[in-house]
Amino acid sequence: MHITRGLAACAAVAVTASLAACGSDDDGSAATSSGNGGGDGATIVWDMWAGSQSDIDALEETLAIVRDENPDLTVNLQTAPWNDYFTKLTTNLSSGNVACVTSMNGQRLSTYAEAFHPLTAEDLEKAGLSEDDFSPGALDIMSYDGQLYGVPFDVATMLVYYNKDLFAAAGADEPQIGWTIDDFEAAASAATTDANKGFAVGMGEFQWMALPIARSGKQPVDESGNLALTDPDFAAAATWYAALVTDDDVAAPVPSASDTGWGETEYSSGNAAMAVDGTWNAVSYLGNDAGFAAGMVNLPAGDNGATALILGSGYGISQDCEDKDAALAVLGSLVGKEAQDAMAAAGRSYPARAESQPLYFESLDDDVRDDVQAAFDAAFANVEGQRSTKNWDQVNTALQPQLVSVYTGQASMPDVLDQAQSQFGD
Amino acid sequence: MLKTRSPHRSGSLRRTETRQALGFISPALLGLAVFTVVPVVLSIVMSLHHWPAFGERSFSGLGNYVDLFTKNPDFWPALRNTAVFALLYVPLNLVVALSLALALSPRIRGRGAFRVLFFIPVVTPIVANALVWKMMLQPQGLFNGVSTSVFGIELPNFLADRNWAMIMVVMMSVWQGMGYNMLIFSAALEQLPTSVIEAARIDGAQGARMIRSVVIPMLSPAIFFATVMTIITSLQVFAQPQLLTGGGPGNATMPLVQFIYNQGFQFQNLGLAAAAAWVLFVLIILITALQFKAQKRWVHYEH
Repeated sequence: MHITRGLAACAAVAVTASLAACGSDDDGSAATSSGNGGGDGATIVWDMWAGSQSDIDALEETLAIVRDENPDLTVNLQTAPWNDYFTKLTTNLSSGNVACVTSMNGQRLSTYAEAFHPLTAEDLEKAGLSEDDFSPGALDIMSYDGQLYGVPFDVATMLVYYNKDLFAAAGADEPQIGWTIDDFEAAASAATTDANKGFAVGMGEFQWMALPIARSGKQPVDESGNLALTDPDFAAAATWYAALVTDDDVAAPVPSASDTGWGETEYSSGNAAMAVDGTWNAVSYLGNDAGFAAGMVNLPAGDNGATALILGSGYGISQDCEDKDAALAVLGSLVGKEAQDAMAAAGRSYPARAESQPLYFESLDDDVRDDVQAAFDAAFANVEGQRSTKNWDQVNTALQPQLVSVYTGQASMPDVLDQAQSQFGD
Repeated sequence: MLKTRSPHRSGSLRRTETRQALGFISPALLGLAVFTVVPVVLSIVMSLHHWPAFGERSFSGLGNYVDLFTKNPDFWPALRNTAVFALLYVPLNLVVALSLALALSPRIRGRGAFRVLFFIPVVTPIVANALVWKMMLQPQGLFNGVSTSVFGIELPNFLADRNWAMIMVVMMSVWQGMGYNMLIFSAALEQLPTSVIEAARIDGAQGARMIRSVVIPMLSPAIFFATVMTIITSLQVFAQPQLLTGGGPGNATMPLVQFIYNQGFQFQNLGLAAAAAWVLFVLIILITALQFKAQKRWVHYEH
């Protein structure tokens, strides 16, 4: 009897222990990777997206810099792939388990703003940062409704990427910096052959909206922060964009709403001569697997000049963070000169810190460096801050599957925009 | 022996045993409580609140349910899509699975190998399955390539066409799911009492008549089980449309579970998502209960 009772007790203890282990797993998972974190001070968890081992390796390098600069703190990294990152963040938010230093994408900030501590000038100073450290407009990325919620680590804008080989094969002139929408149309149709299309339409928010914005000079959110999908100029430009597929036949329809990266995939596999994507992918396109020579130019100018938005990502401090000062110190190191230099020199991202930006171009091969720098300089010359509504993320989630119908001609762009406007507009 | 024991002794023994039993069962009970009862109760509470993933929560009574049925533009289409999917998928799946099981009769050589072949889609990761189907179905894919080069006919853009997308989701799901039911039917077929089959054969039953009047009635418990399970999984369909069509074009293939997922994890509206999940739950329970009621009319357990 005693033995069985003892066994039962053992089993119960074992189960409880394992449950306890599970329970502490969320905040402890990073602790296992803490390793040489050292320090008796506070523990700060840094949450970041990373899609591959090489991404994680790069983040580990940054982590080492942060640990060196903050020897009294224990800093841990936890990661999730980009697509899962925001789902996981939502889950963590609902369970009140958000990492102190949480990475945030500027386009999604509006949805998550209330999860972050608003940052004041004093906070920046505590972190050892100054507004002047960053390239012009960079802080807009992490601002929503006039309030700063984080510090950017990279800045980005949309570019038109083109396939030099396909342009040469079609005997078409390559796009030039400072081109116009008319030039773009001419290039797309000249580069379209029986074997490939001249352009591939996008499904992601700015992968498709960038050209309508460039053409109309209007953002789909007006200056007072209201959704303006049905603005006549923007709607007309969006309709023009859809017609590239339905009327002009210079781009293929998207085969499925689950192809959320359609334009980019078509371009990088060499099936389309041009596509719009962010500066963040410049390096991966230059070294594409398909082996073609990639070029890039700024967005074509519309009647109102060249309109492009500044995008990017940054780090914020979560509302739940118990040790804000320690988190600020980590934040300061994450976007400090050393970390930004390392990120730029590895060509991973175009840094938000102005003085680190030249290192990005130095990381590129000699034969493309000048072209890339010229494209970046032109693209960032006139960028404006991206305006956003609180439900901006939902708007895009709802629009995306509708775009497929627009591209196949089963729905019209104005109808789709009308519907989204009435569903999500005020 | 027991009768000679005093009531007192047996009572105390029972108490001890009860306590021991509780001790043994407690880990399981704890697990049930933590992972089932608490989430279920919490989801009811959530469905009665305006419950964003973060930020202010407020009690809204049946507000979420009213929103679902009267305001939300995607809920009715999602309900309709789930119903359409179930109506197409369940009969097709059962017919295909039963036909395969019957075709792979003991006379077929290497039927073990065939069974493995048909079962492979069930065990391969659905992400890989969906990817392959997508590659075949898209305009630059296998089907359209063969059709245009051999017959000169341009096929529709299956996954982006409002009328075709659901059909393709059903086709892929049937291909993916038929192996499971086939295995259930095969196992049941092997256990049919030979005496009954022989008696039927002596009476002159053959072919279609044999299947219709003897085999299927005797298989009815297996068919009933397969139907109940298949209907439940079809009402819970998520991965196939999510991966194949993304719920699109528009919301043409978005089933209820994807609606719940979008509301909860894309739109951070956990209250509405919980309410929709309860609607789905009630739907599943009702349909399953109906089936159990109806089984008396057609399921034969006598053999």
